[in-house]
Amino acid sequence: MEESERRVIEIRKNGFPWWLVIIGAIIAVTLLLIINAPSFNDAFAAIRIGITTTISITLIAYAISLIIGLIVGLGRVSSNVVAKNLSTFYIELVRGIPMLVLIFFIALVVVPGAVNGVASLGNWLKGVGVLTLGQKLADINIRMISMSLRAIIALSITYGAFSAEIYRAGIQSVPAGQMEAARSQGMSYGQAMRHIILPQAIRNVLPAIGNDFIAMLKDSSLVSVLAVRDVTHLAKLFAGGSFKFTEAYTILAVLYLSMTILLSLLVKLIERKISTNDK
Amino acid sequence: MNNVRKISLIILLIGAVVIASCGPAAPAEEAPAADDAMEESAADESAEEAASDTMEVTYVDGIPQYGCLGSAEDALVDLECREVTFAVENAYLPFNYIEIESGQANGWDYEIFPMICEMLHCTPVFVETVWETMIQQVQEGQFDMAGDGITINDERDENGDFSIGYVNTVMRLLVNVGEDRFTSIEEFVADPDLIMGTQINTTNYETAVEYLPEERVQAFDTFPFANAALVAGDVDAVIMDEVVGLGYQGENADVLELVGPPITSDELGFYFPEGSELVDPVNQALQALMDDGRLNELNMKYMGPSFALTYDDVQ
Repeated sequence: MEESERRVIEIRKNGFPWWLVIIGAIIAVTLLLIINAPSFNDAFAAIRIGITTTISITLIAYAISLIIGLIVGLGRVSSNVVAKNLSTFYIELVRGIPMLVLIFFIALVVVPGAVNGVASLGNWLKGVGVLTLGQKLADINIRMISMSLRAIIALSITYGAFSAEIYRAGIQSVPAGQMEAARSQGMSYGQAMRHIILPQAIRNVLPAIGNDFIAMLKDSSLVSVLAVRDVTHLAKLFAGGSFKFTEAYTILAVLYLSMTILLSLLVKLIERKISTNDK
Repeated sequence: MNNVRKISLIILLIGAVVIASCGPAAPAEEAPAADDAMEESAADESAEEAASDTMEVTYVDGIPQYGCLGSAEDALVDLECREVTFAVENAYLPFNYIEIESGQANGWDYEIFPMICEMLHCTPVFVETVWETMIQQVQEGQFDMAGDGITINDERDENGDFSIGYVNTVMRLLVNVGEDRFTSIEEFVADPDLIMGTQINTTNYETAVEYLPEERVQAFDTFPFANAALVAGDVDAVIMDEVVGLGYQGENADVLELVGPPITSDELGFYFPEGSELVDPVNQALQALMDDGRLNELNMKYMGPSFALTYDDVQ
Protein backbone atom coordinates (compact mmCIF):
# COMPACT_ATOMS: atom_id res chain seq x y z
CA MET A 1 0.00 0.00 0.00
CA GLU A 2 1.34 3.40 -0.86
CA GLU A 3 2.02 6.01 1.79
CA SER A 4 -0.60 8.45 0.48
CA GLU A 5 -3.25 5.76 0.18
CA ARG A 6 -2.52 4.69 3.73
CA ARG A 7 -2.83 8.24 4.98
CA VAL A 8 -6.18 8.77 3.27
CA ILE A 9 -7.51 5.57 4.78
CA GLU A 10 -6.27 6.65 8.21
CA ILE A 11 -7.95 10.04 7.92
CA ARG A 12 -11.19 8.41 6.81
CA LYS A 13 -10.94 6.07 9.76
CA ASN A 14 -9.97 8.56 12.46
CA GLY A 15 -11.36 11.80 11.09
CA PHE A 16 -9.34 14.84 10.15
CA PRO A 17 -6.88 15.73 12.93
CA TRP A 18 -8.41 19.08 13.92
CA TRP A 19 -6.73 18.78 17.30
CA LEU A 20 -3.38 19.00 15.56
CA VAL A 21 -4.51 22.02 13.58
CA ILE A 22 -5.58 23.84 16.74
CA ILE A 23 -2.32 23.04 18.49
CA GLY A 24 -0.46 24.16 15.39
CA ALA A 25 -2.39 27.41 15.50
CA ILE A 26 -1.42 27.97 19.15
CA ILE A 27 2.22 27.41 18.30
CA ALA A 28 1.98 29.70 15.27
CA VAL A 29 0.37 32.50 17.31
CA THR A 30 3.09 32.22 19.95
CA LEU A 31 5.75 32.36 17.26
CA LEU A 32 4.16 35.53 15.89
CA LEU A 33 4.17 37.03 19.37
CA ILE A 34 7.81 36.14 19.81
CA ILE A 35 8.71 37.85 16.57
CA ASN A 36 6.59 40.94 17.06
CA ALA A 37 6.28 41.64 20.78
CA PRO A 38 9.56 42.71 22.43
CA SER A 39 8.63 41.30 25.83
CA PHE A 40 7.93 37.88 24.33
CA ASN A 41 11.10 38.18 22.32
CA ASP A 42 13.13 38.83 25.46
CA ALA A 43 11.52 35.91 27.22
CA PHE A 44 12.21 33.57 24.33
CA ALA A 45 15.81 34.73 24.03
CA ALA A 46 16.35 34.01 27.72
CA ILE A 47 14.60 30.64 27.71
CA ARG A 48 15.80 29.06 24.50
CA ILE A 49 19.35 28.79 25.82
CA GLY A 50 18.09 25.90 27.89
CA ILE A 51 16.62 23.85 25.05
CA THR A 52 19.86 21.98 24.42
CA THR A 53 20.15 21.23 28.13
CA THR A 54 16.61 19.91 28.33
CA ILE A 55 16.94 17.73 25.26
CA SER A 56 20.39 16.39 26.07
CA ILE A 57 19.42 15.52 29.63
CA THR A 58 16.32 13.74 28.35
CA LEU A 59 18.21 11.82 25.65
CA ILE A 60 21.03 10.69 27.93
CA ALA A 61 18.74 9.78 30.79
CA TYR A 62 16.39 7.91 28.48
CA ALA A 63 19.17 5.94 26.83
CA ILE A 64 20.45 4.86 30.24
CA SER A 65 16.95 4.04 31.43
CA LEU A 66 16.39 1.78 28.42
CA ILE A 67 19.50 -0.19 29.31
CA ILE A 68 18.55 -0.38 33.00
CA GLY A 69 15.02 -1.31 31.98
CA LEU A 70 16.19 -4.14 29.76
CA ILE A 71 18.35 -5.67 32.49
CA VAL A 72 15.70 -5.30 35.16
CA GLY A 73 12.91 -6.43 32.80
CA LEU A 74 14.80 -9.59 31.95
CA GLY A 75 15.37 -10.17 35.66
CA ARG A 76 11.67 -9.77 36.27
CA VAL A 77 10.70 -12.55 33.87
CA SER A 78 13.52 -14.92 34.72
CA SER A 79 12.93 -17.93 36.90
CA ASN A 80 16.06 -17.19 38.94
CA VAL A 81 14.88 -16.31 42.46
CA VAL A 82 17.60 -13.74 43.12
CA ALA A 83 17.17 -11.94 39.80
CA LYS A 84 13.42 -11.93 40.05
CA ASN A 85 13.33 -10.57 43.60
CA LEU A 86 16.01 -7.95 43.06
CA SER A 87 14.23 -6.69 39.96
CA THR A 88 10.83 -6.61 41.60
CA PHE A 89 12.33 -4.90 44.66
CA TYR A 90 13.89 -2.22 42.46
CA ILE A 91 10.72 -1.62 40.48
CA GLU A 92 8.46 -1.39 43.52
CA LEU A 93 10.93 0.84 45.35
CA VAL A 94 11.28 3.33 42.52
CA ARG A 95 7.63 3.35 41.56
CA GLY A 96 6.79 4.02 45.19
CA ILE A 97 8.64 7.33 45.38
CA PRO A 98 7.50 10.44 43.50
CA MET A 99 9.96 11.78 40.97
CA LEU A 100 10.50 15.13 42.70
CA VAL A 101 11.25 13.41 46.00
CA LEU A 102 13.57 10.98 44.25
CA ILE A 103 15.46 13.83 42.61
CA PHE A 104 15.97 15.56 45.95
CA PHE A 105 16.90 12.28 47.60
CA ILE A 106 19.49 11.34 45.02
CA ALA A 107 20.96 14.80 44.66
CA LEU A 108 21.20 15.64 48.36
CA VAL A 109 21.45 12.28 50.12
CA VAL A 110 22.61 9.45 47.89
CA VAL A 111 25.27 11.19 45.84
CA PRO A 112 26.96 13.11 48.69
CA GLY A 113 26.81 9.92 50.76
CA ALA A 114 28.31 7.88 47.95
CA VAL A 115 31.05 10.46 47.40
CA ASN A 116 31.94 10.39 51.10
CA GLY A 117 31.87 6.61 51.03
CA VAL A 118 34.19 6.42 48.07
CA ALA A 119 36.55 8.96 49.63
CA SER A 120 36.67 6.94 52.85
CA LEU A 121 37.30 3.80 50.86
CA GLY A 122 40.17 5.60 49.15
CA ASN A 123 41.67 6.60 52.46
CA TRP A 124 41.36 3.07 53.78
CA LEU A 125 43.03 1.72 50.67
CA LYS A 126 45.85 4.17 51.16
CA GLY A 127 46.18 3.03 54.74
CA VAL A 128 46.30 -0.56 53.59
CA GLY A 129 48.97 0.22 51.03
CA VAL A 130 47.13 0.48 47.72
CA LEU A 131 48.40 3.99 47.07
CA THR A 132 47.60 5.11 43.52
CA LEU A 133 44.06 3.78 43.42
CA GLY A 134 43.52 4.87 46.99
CA GLN A 135 44.66 8.40 46.25
CA LYS A 136 42.46 8.60 43.20
CA LEU A 137 39.41 7.55 45.18
CA ALA A 138 40.23 9.76 48.13
CA ASP A 139 40.52 12.76 45.84
CA ILE A 140 36.96 12.40 44.67
CA ASN A 141 35.08 15.60 45.12
CA ILE A 142 31.35 16.12 45.06
CA ARG A 143 31.82 18.84 42.50
CA MET A 144 32.79 16.13 39.99
CA ILE A 145 29.20 14.94 39.96
CA SER A 146 27.35 17.97 38.71
CA MET A 147 23.70 18.62 39.46
CA SER A 148 22.92 17.77 35.83
CA LEU A 149 24.54 14.39 36.26
CA ARG A 150 22.63 13.77 39.46
CA ALA A 151 19.42 14.74 37.73
CA ILE A 152 20.21 12.34 34.88
CA ILE A 153 20.86 9.57 37.39
CA ALA A 154 17.55 10.22 39.14
CA LEU A 155 15.61 10.31 35.87
CA SER A 156 17.27 7.14 34.54
CA ILE A 157 16.62 5.24 37.74
CA THR A 158 12.96 6.22 37.76
CA TYR A 159 12.28 5.57 34.12
CA GLY A 160 14.39 2.41 34.23
CA ALA A 161 11.68 0.96 36.43
CA PHE A 162 8.93 2.01 34.02
CA SER A 163 10.89 0.66 31.05
CA ALA A 164 11.43 -2.61 32.88
CA GLU A 165 7.70 -3.08 33.21
CA ILE A 166 7.24 -2.24 29.53
CA TYR A 167 9.86 -4.79 28.50
CA ARG A 168 8.23 -7.35 30.74
CA ALA A 169 4.87 -6.76 29.09
CA GLY A 170 6.53 -6.99 25.70
CA ILE A 171 8.29 -10.24 26.49
CA GLN A 172 5.16 -11.77 27.92
CA SER A 173 3.17 -10.70 24.88
CA VAL A 174 5.31 -12.89 22.64
CA PRO A 175 3.52 -16.26 22.33
CA ALA A 176 5.03 -18.97 24.50
CA GLY A 177 5.28 -21.15 21.44
CA GLN A 178 8.12 -19.00 20.17
CA MET A 179 10.32 -19.81 23.14
CA GLU A 180 9.43 -23.49 22.91
CA ALA A 181 10.21 -23.55 19.21
CA ALA A 182 13.52 -21.79 19.77
CA ARG A 183 14.54 -24.12 22.57
CA SER A 184 13.53 -27.12 20.48
CA GLN A 185 15.93 -25.91 17.81
CA GLY A 186 18.72 -26.25 20.34
CA MET A 187 19.05 -22.57 21.35
CA SER A 188 19.89 -21.74 24.95
CA TYR A 189 17.60 -19.45 26.95
CA GLY A 190 19.93 -16.55 26.29
CA GLN A 191 20.18 -17.20 22.57
CA ALA A 192 16.42 -17.59 22.27
CA MET A 193 15.93 -14.29 24.08
CA ARG A 194 18.43 -12.40 22.01
CA HIS A 195 17.49 -13.68 18.57
CA ILE A 196 13.80 -14.55 18.77
CA ILE A 197 11.93 -13.14 21.74
CA LEU A 198 13.42 -9.71 22.32
CA PRO A 199 13.20 -8.44 18.75
CA GLN A 200 9.51 -9.29 18.70
CA ALA A 201 8.96 -7.97 22.20
CA ILE A 202 10.58 -4.65 21.47
CA ARG A 203 8.64 -4.22 18.25
CA ASN A 204 5.44 -4.82 20.19
CA VAL A 205 6.17 -2.21 22.83
CA LEU A 206 7.75 0.44 20.63
CA PRO A 207 4.73 2.77 21.06
CA ALA A 208 5.00 2.52 24.83
CA ILE A 209 8.71 3.18 24.73
CA GLY A 210 8.17 6.19 22.52
CA ASN A 211 5.50 7.53 24.87
CA ASP A 212 7.81 7.09 27.83
CA PHE A 213 10.41 9.21 26.10
CA ILE A 214 7.89 11.99 25.66
CA ALA A 215 6.88 11.62 29.31
CA MET A 216 10.49 11.96 30.35
CA LEU A 217 10.84 15.12 28.33
CA LYS A 218 8.10 16.63 30.43
CA ASP A 219 9.46 15.24 33.70
CA SER A 220 12.85 16.72 32.88
CA SER A 221 11.36 20.04 33.97
CA LEU A 222 11.78 18.80 37.55
CA VAL A 223 15.54 19.13 37.30
CA SER A 224 15.03 22.88 37.63
CA VAL A 225 14.75 22.45 41.40
CA LEU A 226 18.42 21.48 41.39
CA ALA A 227 19.21 24.79 39.72
CA VAL A 228 20.06 22.94 36.49
CA ARG A 229 19.71 25.51 33.73
CA ASP A 230 17.04 23.85 31.62
CA VAL A 231 14.18 25.74 29.98
CA THR A 232 12.01 25.62 33.10
CA HIS A 233 14.71 27.05 35.35
CA LEU A 234 15.58 29.77 32.86
CA ALA A 235 11.91 30.66 32.57
CA LYS A 236 11.70 30.95 36.36
CA LEU A 237 14.78 33.16 36.47
CA PHE A 238 13.52 35.38 33.68
CA ALA A 239 10.07 35.72 35.22
CA GLY A 240 11.52 36.53 38.62
CA GLY A 241 13.93 39.12 37.33
CA SER A 242 11.62 40.88 34.89
CA PHE A 243 8.19 40.20 36.45
CA LYS A 244 6.99 39.16 33.00
CA PHE A 245 5.34 36.00 34.24
CA THR A 246 2.78 35.76 31.41
CA GLU A 247 5.41 35.92 28.69
CA ALA A 248 7.79 33.54 30.40
CA TYR A 249 5.34 30.81 31.29
CA THR A 250 3.33 31.01 28.06
CA ILE A 251 6.48 30.52 26.04
CA LEU A 252 7.63 27.74 28.36
CA ALA A 253 4.33 25.87 28.03
CA VAL A 254 4.20 26.25 24.25
CA LEU A 255 7.85 25.20 24.00
CA TYR A 256 7.21 21.95 25.83
CA LEU A 257 4.08 21.42 23.75
CA SER A 258 6.00 21.90 20.52
CA MET A 259 8.72 19.49 21.57
CA THR A 260 6.31 16.79 22.68
CA ILE A 261 4.06 17.09 19.61
CA LEU A 262 7.08 16.90 17.34
CA LEU A 263 8.35 13.86 19.19
CA SER A 264 5.00 12.08 19.22
CA LEU A 265 4.66 12.61 15.47
CA LEU A 266 8.18 11.24 15.09
CA VAL A 267 7.30 8.23 17.22
CA LYS A 268 4.19 7.56 15.11
CA LEU A 269 6.33 7.75 11.98
CA ILE A 270 8.86 5.28 13.35
CA GLU A 271 6.09 2.91 14.41
CA ARG A 272 4.63 3.01 10.95
CA LYS A 273 8.00 2.34 9.34
CA ILE A 274 8.67 -0.58 11.66
CA SER A 275 5.27 -2.18 11.13
CA THR A 276 5.57 -1.68 7.36
CA ASN A 277 8.60 -3.92 7.45
CA ASP A 278 6.46 -6.66 8.90
CA LYS A 279 4.31 -6.85 5.78
CA MET B 1 -3.52 -16.41 56.88
CA ASN B 2 -7.06 -16.21 55.65
CA ASN B 3 -8.31 -13.23 53.69
CA VAL B 4 -9.94 -11.35 56.57
CA ARG B 5 -6.73 -11.42 58.58
CA LYS B 6 -4.71 -10.25 55.58
CA ILE B 7 -7.00 -7.33 54.94
CA SER B 8 -7.07 -6.36 58.63
CA LEU B 9 -3.29 -6.40 58.75
CA ILE B 10 -3.03 -4.12 55.75
CA ILE B 11 -5.58 -1.71 57.17
CA LEU B 12 -3.71 -1.74 60.48
CA LEU B 13 -0.45 -0.86 58.74
CA ILE B 14 -2.06 2.01 56.85
CA GLY B 15 -3.59 3.23 60.07
CA ALA B 16 -0.20 3.13 61.76
CA VAL B 17 1.32 5.30 59.02
CA VAL B 18 -1.48 7.84 59.31
CA ILE B 19 -1.16 8.02 63.09
CA ALA B 20 2.59 8.43 62.81
CA SER B 21 2.12 11.48 60.63
CA CYS B 22 -0.40 12.97 63.09
CA GLY B 23 1.97 12.77 66.04
CA PRO B 24 3.78 16.11 66.29
CA ALA B 25 0.70 18.20 65.58
CA ALA B 26 -1.21 16.73 68.53
CA PRO B 27 0.48 18.67 71.36
CA ALA B 28 -0.02 22.00 69.56
CA GLU B 29 -3.67 21.27 68.99
CA GLU B 30 -4.32 20.35 72.63
CA ALA B 31 -2.88 23.57 73.98
CA PRO B 32 -5.35 25.90 72.22
CA ALA B 33 -8.28 24.37 74.08
CA ALA B 34 -6.98 25.92 77.27
CA ASP B 35 -5.85 29.06 75.49
CA ASP B 36 -9.21 29.79 73.94
CA ALA B 37 -10.59 31.15 77.18
CA MET B 38 -7.59 33.41 77.55
CA GLU B 39 -7.69 34.73 73.99
CA GLU B 40 -10.63 37.05 74.60
CA SER B 41 -8.95 38.77 77.50
CA ALA B 42 -5.65 38.93 75.62
CA ALA B 43 -7.28 40.87 72.80
CA ASP B 44 -8.64 43.41 75.23
CA GLU B 45 -5.31 44.04 76.83
CA SER B 46 -3.41 47.19 76.09
CA ALA B 47 -1.08 47.31 73.13
CA GLU B 48 2.02 46.99 75.28
CA GLU B 49 0.99 43.74 76.89
CA ALA B 50 -0.15 42.31 73.58
CA ALA B 51 3.31 42.84 72.19
CA SER B 52 4.85 40.48 74.73
CA ASP B 53 5.55 36.81 74.03
CA THR B 54 2.74 35.62 76.24
CA MET B 55 -0.05 36.46 73.76
CA GLU B 56 -2.30 33.42 73.71
CA VAL B 57 -3.51 32.28 70.33
CA THR B 58 -4.96 29.22 68.64
CA TYR B 59 -2.72 27.33 66.32
CA VAL B 60 -4.07 25.53 63.28
CA ASP B 61 -1.47 23.42 61.48
CA GLY B 62 1.15 25.44 63.33
CA ILE B 63 -0.04 28.80 62.02
CA PRO B 64 -1.42 31.17 64.65
CA GLN B 65 -5.01 32.26 64.21
CA TYR B 66 -6.19 35.56 65.62
CA GLY B 67 -9.46 37.24 66.16
CA CYS B 68 -9.98 40.95 65.68
CA LEU B 69 -7.21 42.80 67.52
CA GLY B 70 -7.24 46.22 69.04
CA SER B 71 -10.23 48.43 69.47
CA ALA B 72 -11.87 51.21 67.51
CA GLU B 73 -11.12 53.87 70.12
CA ASP B 74 -7.40 53.16 70.41
CA ALA B 75 -6.79 52.58 66.71
CA LEU B 76 -4.56 54.93 64.73
CA VAL B 77 -6.70 54.15 61.72
CA ASP B 78 -9.81 52.06 62.30
CA LEU B 79 -9.95 49.18 59.83
CA GLU B 80 -13.13 47.91 61.48
CA CYS B 81 -11.94 44.37 62.09
CA ARG B 82 -11.38 43.61 58.44
CA GLU B 83 -9.26 40.59 57.69
CA VAL B 84 -5.83 41.43 56.36
CA THR B 85 -4.03 38.55 54.64
CA PHE B 86 -0.28 38.52 55.18
CA ALA B 87 1.88 36.31 52.96
CA VAL B 88 4.83 34.38 54.40
CA GLU B 89 6.91 31.47 53.17
CA ASN B 90 7.70 29.82 56.55
CA ALA B 91 11.21 29.02 55.40
CA TYR B 92 13.05 32.30 55.95
CA LEU B 93 14.81 32.87 59.25
CA PRO B 94 14.35 35.15 61.12
CA PHE B 95 11.18 36.49 59.57
CA ASN B 96 8.99 33.40 59.36
CA TYR B 97 9.79 29.79 60.10
CA ILE B 98 8.35 26.69 61.77
CA GLU B 99 9.97 25.65 65.04
CA ILE B 100 10.73 21.94 65.12
CA GLU B 101 9.92 21.27 68.76
CA SER B 102 6.56 22.94 68.88
CA GLY B 103 5.61 22.67 65.21
CA GLN B 104 4.46 26.29 65.47
CA ALA B 105 5.22 29.17 63.18
CA ASN B 106 7.26 31.99 64.65
CA GLY B 107 9.47 34.86 63.64
CA TRP B 108 9.71 38.60 63.21
CA ASP B 109 6.72 38.66 60.83
CA TYR B 110 4.61 36.66 63.24
CA GLU B 111 5.26 39.18 66.02
CA ILE B 112 5.04 42.47 64.19
CA PHE B 113 1.88 41.86 62.22
CA PRO B 114 -0.37 41.26 65.25
CA MET B 115 1.22 44.35 66.80
CA ILE B 116 0.28 46.35 63.70
CA CYS B 117 -3.26 44.99 63.66
CA GLU B 118 -3.55 45.85 67.34
CA MET B 119 -3.03 49.47 66.36
CA LEU B 120 -5.29 49.36 63.32
CA HIS B 121 -8.17 47.31 64.72
CA CYS B 122 -7.90 44.57 62.12
CA THR B 123 -7.81 40.77 62.01
CA PRO B 124 -4.41 39.38 61.01
CA VAL B 125 -4.51 36.31 58.77
CA PHE B 126 -1.20 34.62 57.95
CA VAL B 127 -1.10 32.74 54.65
CA GLU B 128 1.75 30.49 53.63
CA THR B 129 2.96 30.56 50.03
CA VAL B 130 6.23 30.15 48.16
CA TRP B 131 8.72 32.95 47.68
CA GLU B 132 9.05 32.35 43.96
CA THR B 133 5.55 33.57 43.20
CA MET B 134 4.92 35.80 46.22
CA ILE B 135 5.67 39.13 44.57
CA GLN B 136 3.47 38.34 41.59
CA GLN B 137 0.67 37.09 43.84
CA VAL B 138 0.70 40.33 45.80
CA GLN B 139 0.69 42.37 42.59
CA GLU B 140 -2.38 40.45 41.49
CA GLY B 141 -4.07 41.11 44.81
CA GLN B 142 -4.14 37.52 46.04
CA PHE B 143 -2.83 38.80 49.35
CA ASP B 144 -3.38 42.13 51.07
CA MET B 145 0.29 42.36 51.93
CA ALA B 146 3.49 40.36 52.23
CA GLY B 147 6.21 40.27 54.86
CA ASP B 148 9.11 37.85 54.35
CA GLY B 149 11.82 40.51 54.42
CA ILE B 150 11.27 41.92 50.94
CA THR B 151 13.89 44.36 49.70
CA ILE B 152 12.53 47.67 48.51
CA ASN B 153 13.54 48.36 44.93
CA ASP B 154 12.22 50.32 41.97
CA GLU B 155 11.36 47.36 39.80
CA ARG B 156 9.04 45.87 42.39
CA ASP B 157 7.69 49.34 43.16
CA GLU B 158 6.43 49.66 39.59
CA ASN B 159 3.61 47.20 39.98
CA GLY B 160 3.14 47.28 43.73
CA ASP B 161 3.51 49.55 46.73
CA PHE B 162 5.98 49.39 49.59
CA SER B 163 5.59 50.49 53.17
CA ILE B 164 8.31 52.58 54.74
CA GLY B 165 11.44 50.59 55.43
CA TYR B 166 11.40 48.72 58.72
CA VAL B 167 15.01 47.62 58.82
CA ASN B 168 18.20 48.15 56.91
CA THR B 169 20.06 45.11 55.81
CA VAL B 170 23.24 44.35 54.00
CA MET B 171 24.18 41.32 51.98
CA ARG B 172 27.02 39.12 53.04
CA LEU B 173 28.47 35.75 52.19
CA LEU B 174 27.68 32.64 54.17
CA VAL B 175 30.51 30.13 53.96
CA ASN B 176 31.76 26.96 55.56
CA VAL B 177 33.73 27.61 58.73
CA GLY B 178 37.42 27.82 58.06
CA GLU B 179 36.97 28.94 54.46
CA ASP B 180 40.31 30.41 53.45
CA ARG B 181 40.09 30.75 49.70
CA PHE B 182 38.42 34.14 49.84
CA THR B 183 37.33 36.77 52.33
CA SER B 184 35.28 39.08 50.17
CA ILE B 185 33.14 39.09 47.07
CA GLU B 186 35.96 40.54 45.01
CA GLU B 187 38.27 37.68 45.89
CA PHE B 188 35.42 35.28 45.19
CA VAL B 189 34.97 36.70 41.71
CA ALA B 190 38.70 36.44 41.05
CA ASP B 191 38.77 32.67 41.56
CA PRO B 192 36.98 31.12 38.56
CA ASP B 193 36.42 27.77 40.27
CA LEU B 194 34.14 29.16 42.93
CA ILE B 195 30.39 28.81 42.61
CA MET B 196 27.86 31.01 44.42
CA GLY B 197 24.53 29.80 45.71
CA THR B 198 21.45 31.82 46.51
CA GLN B 199 17.66 31.81 46.39
CA ILE B 200 15.83 32.27 43.11
CA ASN B 201 14.17 35.62 42.36
CA THR B 202 15.84 37.52 45.17
CA THR B 203 17.78 40.74 45.14
CA ASN B 204 20.58 38.51 46.42
CA TYR B 205 20.47 36.69 43.10
CA GLU B 206 20.46 39.95 41.17
CA THR B 207 23.50 41.16 43.10
CA ALA B 208 25.22 37.83 42.51
CA VAL B 209 24.80 38.08 38.74
CA GLU B 210 26.10 41.64 38.84
CA TYR B 211 29.37 40.30 40.14
CA LEU B 212 29.51 36.89 38.49
CA PRO B 213 28.55 35.33 35.16
CA GLU B 214 25.29 33.41 35.40
CA GLU B 215 27.04 30.06 35.04
CA ARG B 216 28.75 30.64 38.37
CA VAL B 217 25.52 31.33 40.24
CA GLN B 218 23.17 28.53 41.28
CA ALA B 219 19.70 29.71 42.22
CA PHE B 220 17.73 27.32 44.43
CA ASP B 221 14.07 27.49 45.39
CA THR B 222 14.76 28.17 49.07
CA PHE B 223 17.71 29.24 51.19
CA PRO B 224 17.78 26.01 53.22
CA PHE B 225 18.36 24.22 49.92
CA ALA B 226 21.18 26.58 49.01
CA ASN B 227 22.72 26.06 52.44
CA ALA B 228 22.49 22.29 52.07
CA ALA B 229 24.42 22.70 48.83
CA LEU B 230 26.97 24.84 50.71
CA VAL B 231 27.50 22.21 53.37
CA ALA B 232 27.73 19.44 50.77
CA GLY B 233 30.32 21.41 48.83
CA ASP B 234 28.27 22.03 45.71
CA VAL B 235 28.59 25.78 46.16
CA ASP B 236 31.35 27.71 47.88
CA ALA B 237 29.31 30.52 49.35
CA VAL B 238 25.71 31.61 49.68
CA ILE B 239 24.91 35.29 49.29
CA MET B 240 22.08 36.41 51.52
CA ASP B 241 20.81 39.23 53.66
CA GLU B 242 22.88 39.53 56.79
CA VAL B 243 19.84 39.28 59.03
CA VAL B 244 19.08 35.92 57.47
CA GLY B 245 22.68 34.80 57.71
CA LEU B 246 22.68 35.54 61.42
CA GLY B 247 20.08 32.82 61.67
CA TYR B 248 22.93 30.42 61.05
CA GLN B 249 25.16 31.73 63.80
CA GLY B 250 24.83 30.48 67.31
CA GLU B 251 24.67 26.75 67.54
CA ASN B 252 25.83 26.28 63.97
CA ALA B 253 28.88 28.48 64.44
CA ASP B 254 31.08 25.41 64.06
CA VAL B 255 29.76 24.72 60.55
CA LEU B 256 28.86 28.02 58.90
CA GLU B 257 29.88 31.63 59.28
CA LEU B 258 29.33 35.01 57.66
CA VAL B 259 32.37 36.60 56.09
CA GLY B 260 33.32 39.70 54.24
CA PRO B 261 32.32 43.33 54.30
CA PRO B 262 28.76 44.33 53.45
CA ILE B 263 28.08 44.01 49.75
CA THR B 264 25.02 46.17 49.32
CA SER B 265 22.75 48.03 51.66
CA ASP B 266 19.00 47.94 51.30
CA GLU B 267 15.86 48.63 53.18
CA LEU B 268 13.23 45.98 53.71
CA GLY B 269 9.53 46.82 53.65
CA PHE B 270 6.09 45.29 53.47
CA TYR B 271 4.74 44.82 49.96
CA PHE B 272 1.20 45.67 48.87
CA PRO B 273 -0.81 45.55 45.65
CA GLU B 274 -0.56 48.77 43.65
CA GLY B 275 -2.73 51.50 45.13
CA SER B 276 -3.61 49.54 48.24
CA GLU B 277 -5.44 51.55 50.89
CA LEU B 278 -3.58 49.64 53.60
CA VAL B 279 -0.23 51.27 52.87
CA ASP B 280 -0.92 54.46 54.76
CA PRO B 281 -2.40 52.85 57.92
CA VAL B 282 0.45 50.34 58.08
CA ASN B 283 2.98 53.13 57.65
CA GLN B 284 1.39 55.00 60.52
CA ALA B 285 1.56 51.89 62.67
CA LEU B 286 5.20 51.28 61.71
CA GLN B 287 6.06 54.88 62.50
CA ALA B 288 4.39 54.57 65.90
CA LEU B 289 6.38 51.40 66.60
CA MET B 290 9.56 53.20 65.60
CA ASP B 291 8.77 56.17 67.83
CA ASP B 292 8.06 54.18 70.95
CA GLY B 293 11.08 51.92 70.46
CA ARG B 294 9.24 48.63 70.03
CA LEU B 295 10.37 48.20 66.43
CA ASN B 296 13.97 48.50 67.48
CA GLU B 297 13.37 46.06 70.32
CA LEU B 298 11.89 43.54 67.90
CA ASN B 299 14.70 44.03 65.41
CA MET B 300 17.30 43.44 68.10
CA LYS B 301 15.44 40.37 69.26
CA TYR B 302 15.38 38.70 65.87
CA MET B 303 18.22 40.30 63.96
CA GLY B 304 20.66 41.09 66.69
CA PRO B 305 23.53 38.93 67.85
CA SER B 306 21.46 37.33 70.57
CA PHE B 307 19.20 35.52 68.10
CA ALA B 308 20.26 31.96 68.62
CA LEU B 309 17.88 29.90 66.53
CA THR B 310 19.39 28.09 63.59
CA TYR B 311 17.96 26.12 60.71
CA ASP B 312 18.44 22.98 62.82
CA ASP B 313 15.72 24.18 65.17
CA VAL B 314 13.24 24.85 62.42
CA GLN B 315 11.49 22.73 59.87
